Amino acid sequence: MDDIGEEVAADFREALQDLSTNARFEIVTLTNIAKENANHGLAIAEVLTQHIKEAPASKTLPALYVLDSIVKNVPTPYALFFGPKLYQIFMGSYTKVDSATRRKMDEMLKTWKEPIAGSISKKPVFPPDLVRPIENALLAARNAYQDKFQSQQQHLMRGRPVGPPSRATPTPPMGRAYQPPPHGQYPPHGDQPYPMRSGNTPNGMPHRATPPSAGPHAHYQHPPPSQGPYGAPAGINIDKLKDDIQQLIQLGTAEFTQNMHDDSIKTRLGALLKLQEILQSQNLPQEQLMAINDQVAQLAVNMRAAATQPQPPPPSSYHPAALPPYNTTTHTPTPPVVVSQQFAPPAAPVAAAVAPAVQLPAVLAAALGRPASNVAPVPVAAAPPPPPRPATTGGTLSLDSILGQGALAALLAAKKPATPQQTATPVPPPAALAALRSPPQQTPPFQPPPPTQPAANPLTQNPSALLAMLRQSGLLGGTPSSAPAPIIPSLPPPDPNIITLTSASLKLPRLHLLPYLLDHLGPPCSQCGRRFPTSEEGKKKKTAHMDWHFRVHQRVAEAEQRGQHRSQFVSELDWIQSHEEPDVDYNAPSGEGEEGSESDDNDWSGGVRGGRKGGKGKKEEKKKRWIIAPDEGGVGGVGDGGAGVNKVCPICQEKFQSRYLEEVQDWVWMDAVVVGGQPGMGGGGKRVYHGSCWDEVNAGVQAGQQQQGLTLLGKGKREREEEGEEEIRGGVKRLMR
Amino acid sequence: MSIPGLGQITAQQSSAPATRTVALHPFSEWRFQISPASTAACRLVAGTAERDGTELAQNKTYSLTRCRSKIVSFTGATLEVSGEFESENVKHSPTPAASPFVAYLNLHFLLQARRTQASQGGNGQGPRVMICGPAATGKSSLAKMLIGWATRQNEQPVLATVDPRDGMLALPGTLSAAVFATVMDVEDPEGGVGVGCTPSSGPSAVPVKLPVGYYFGREKVEDDEQLWKDLVRRLGSSVRAKTGGDQGVRRGGVVIDTPAVDFKKGEVKVKNEDGQQQVEQGGGVEGLMHVVREFAVNIIVVLGSPDLEAELRSRNNKSTLGEPIEIVNLDKPDGVVEQDRQYLLSSRKALIKDYFFGDSKRALSPSVQSFSFDDVVIFRAVDGLDLDDPPQVLERAEITEEMSHWTLAVMDASVNDPLETIRQAPVIGWVCVSDVDKDRRRMKILSPVSGRLTRPMVWGRWPEPYVNLLG
Repeated sequence: MDDIGEEVAADFREALQDLSTNARFEIVTLTNIAKENANHGLAIAEVLTQHIKEAPASKTLPALYVLDSIVKNVPTPYALFFGPKLYQIFMGSYTKVDSATRRKMDEMLKTWKEPIAGSISKKPVFPPDLVRPIENALLAARNAYQDKFQSQQQHLMRGRPVGPPSRATPTPPMGRAYQPPPHGQYPPHGDQPYPMRSGNTPNGMPHRATPPSAGPHAHYQHPPPSQGPYGAPAGINIDKLKDDIQQLIQLGTAEFTQNMHDDSIKTRLGALLKLQEILQSQNLPQEQLMAINDQVAQLAVNMRAAATQPQPPPPSSYHPAALPPYNTTTHTPTPPVVVSQQFAPPAAPVAAAVAPAVQLPAVLAAALGRPASNVAPVPVAAAPPPPPRPATTGGTLSLDSILGQGALAALLAAKKPATPQQTATPVPPPAALAALRSPPQQTPPFQPPPPTQPAANPLTQNPSALLAMLRQSGLLGGTPSSAPAPIIPSLPPPDPNIITLTSASLKLPRLHLLPYLLDHLGPPCSQCGRRFPTSEEGKKKKTAHMDWHFRVHQRVAEAEQRGQHRSQFVSELDWIQSHEEPDVDYNAPSGEGEEGSESDDNDWSGGVRGGRKGGKGKKEEKKKRWIIAPDEGGVGGVGDGGAGVNKVCPICQEKFQSRYLEEVQDWVWMDAVVVGGQPGMGGGGKRVYHGSCWDEVNAGVQAGQQQQGLTLLGKGKREREEEGEEEIRGGVKRLMR
Repeated sequence: MSIPGLGQITAQQSSAPATRTVALHPFSEWRFQISPASTAACRLVAGTAERDGTELAQNKTYSLTRCRSKIVSFTGATLEVSGEFESENVKHSPTPAASPFVAYLNLHFLLQARRTQASQGGNGQGPRVMICGPAATGKSSLAKMLIGWATRQNEQPVLATVDPRDGMLALPGTLSAAVFATVMDVEDPEGGVGVGCTPSSGPSAVPVKLPVGYYFGREKVEDDEQLWKDLVRRLGSSVRAKTGGDQGVRRGGVVIDTPAVDFKKGEVKVKNEDGQQQVEQGGGVEGLMHVVREFAVNIIVVLGSPDLEAELRSRNNKSTLGEPIEIVNLDKPDGVVEQDRQYLLSSRKALIKDYFFGDSKRALSPSVQSFSFDDVVIFRAVDGLDLDDPPQVLERAEITEEMSHWTLAVMDASVNDPLETIRQAPVIGWVCVSDVDKDRRRMKILSPVSGRLTRPMVWGRWPEPYVNLLG
């Protein structure tokens, strides 16, 4: 690969890592980059493949959408590049994401079988022989899952990647489990020459400013020009449906013959036959086909009994209307209106709310509010920058967008500080409250009726007028940033003796004390609700606190790219000596400064007792030594098929243990050396030894090991084996940094 | 539309409910139950609201799962909620005075005043509060609130749990304590004290809490009362050492959550001659007095049991530090959910899973390693049926298939330490036996960190194992 290609790939990788939501414009941008650099297509495809593989579950879907978009807009050459790896890419992602995302992936997969929307070509996005193995695997997985479904594992496995049958191996980080395609016809690596060189091939597709796949990206602002590929009607193939039903009928018949007395089977079989009849005789509209398809898919899940890979997709995973209740709704391919309702606060007002309250340099505040730059994402920013909100709110000027959310409430509260009747103010019945949905009206009910209150209601149609009135009445300063200022920084502490520890005294409401837990502590942090006083010191603390948030957000993003693990607890002594310091990051007991807390040097024997002091140097001397386990792909690992290679170390007579090594995506023998040639070639005279055994025999027994004695030889070897593995894992992590 | 005959296959997934608004009057609560399989989102739109004493940030969407909890507002609030709930309702309080939170808040302000007093004069020792009462009276909830409120006022109190069933910042079956100086995790199913809030190798968006824990490995105190008392003593002395060395923590004081003691007048059978006999009815009270001694408790809050209050009053009324012990009984708040066994079981499972695999916010990658039987040292308490024997001691556990799926505590001790030392050593973590191969004498162990298991491990008798963590 030439330098430019590498550069492009590196840039692309960086851009991908920042992609945390499926914001349409980001996906379009990435698609355009891929299009413009189609001559470096292979590099870009590799970067994207790698990214999808390594990305944390939350970032996988956006990355897949990028792939989808690229393939649909620039099919040549990208469809060719991704094609051979499609199975691994898709299944690898499928195993790590949650069920909501899986539904999205199912939908995407469906579109891959269709021609590209708006294209003249009738060729599907990916040829059927690439998509079908995936579908088969998914169906098999669903069946397997269904078998297990009734067992209590349900919530255990929720959103949890499930790897291949485990062996004596570390779980691959993030539970990524890659399985070879079932038919084995795909080359595992995509670096073989491709029939078409990208550079010379003119793009067959005219570039569309609006990718056809934009429909599913939640923030797409206009209705798709054509029936988008993810739109409901496009997805149903009657022939396939008929096929499925036919298969189910066969299955059902078999089941019925085995279990003649089961009425439910009979009913179901009858229904299926009827359904088949209907399908063959009538021309049903698309939405009915959809419904049938759903039912059939569920039925298939219920009926088929085959198991390769247990996965928990929800049975109704084809149902496009089933929106998950949480944040991932941004990923949903529903029309934008729905999305905008679920995300009422657009990013801009949130950012506005952050800015005055935070009192940070504008840059930082902006970074916190908007992830679009190269900064790590923060929760506030989950709502994408160009929200379709204005359309739904009718374009009126929101008071909150001027003042910041809740600023009015703060103002009003500050006007009448801490009087008992403040909280005792009668509030409107809940129904009325629920009706008051728009932000300017939301807060007043809980505040003492301010002088402007009577005027406020008629004025809500025109927040600017309300603003003007507030200014006039002196409630509001000239600039919004003065909003939090009127809060009284501190009050004298309450009289300690007013409460006594008796039931009667404790039951007496003392509402005037309440503000000590709320407003008197200062305005809250927008990220975690912690309050900071408005005094000089408080501001300093808050700045440090916001910096901490910022740092952590950044590092969370970084950490997602590596594996994380639970730290061991500290010893008694360390606990006693530890000091809780707000806004200082926790350091694991190994204590090597900030980085140390995230180092991989945190095992059971390390840490507090220093049991492994100096071990690291030794580890670094140790060269990593492993060979691919000779029995390729066999589930039994080193078991049987190893083409003439010895499975036992000739020196210590112990079997080689195979482990899965993420780095090479294969099973390896750790601490193994080949003496005399490559074992895979099957030639004679080549033998595999434990690296450590080989060294010991050849270099002579060293002084230190002599002390251990011969009986410990085996143990020493195993230890080194593990260290070697750690070394490799560390190396992988370093690579990923 | 319906398809003939296919209607009986009901969809597992109900369609996502739309976002609703929940309006809370001052001093009212929004109670909810969310099953482990579903998630719900909650956003504070206006006003102030808090969960277990920790304030919610405005306009931040919190995602909640598998919990039975409540969000309270003292000033009124508007929440926007969405997702699936097993149940949810708003409990309004006609007047603030009718709300149990008034007493809790007053208690907090009283403690706060004591803290101020302590640092102004005297030994600087903040209040040591023990919360006790029968089951389902909101003990843990109150403890969390007191801690949360104190933290908000920049105190650094210690929260200690001597109820083995809870597992505060630890797996169930552990007695533990931690200093709380930072915001608690509102999204945590256990309300900020779940094991998910303990450190991991990566950063955490909510500050992690650092616990010290001692492994009891039993469900009830009565199952091994001697060990429980020993561990309470260990925990008490660790907490004392902590408060002794750190002025902020000393001022903050200690809040202690205790096992449920259902005490009824007239059922006390304290037999002073034979300590072991106290297990019967008054045993719980004796256990509480042990806690009072070991933690130098000077304030006892009894929830919903005047009988227990009276009994405690009749006991020793001077704290270990010589101060008078104040005792108060507060009404049991209505609506505390009686946690059924099934729920507790599933939440224990979820906790164990969180420990190894992380929660929704961060995925952790535990390692699965294979060990020879000879490479690990596993102890188990001797079944002490003979009550006359001095304390039960550990023995090397025989590794059998029976051990599969149990979680073992890894102790901060050396395998060559005396058994008594190992037994009372702090826990540094847990591993889970995922498979035992007796023929090959090897076992697979799921461990949060990789590497050799050179520390002794203890195989408890609770929480019971459950199906394979690795699926």
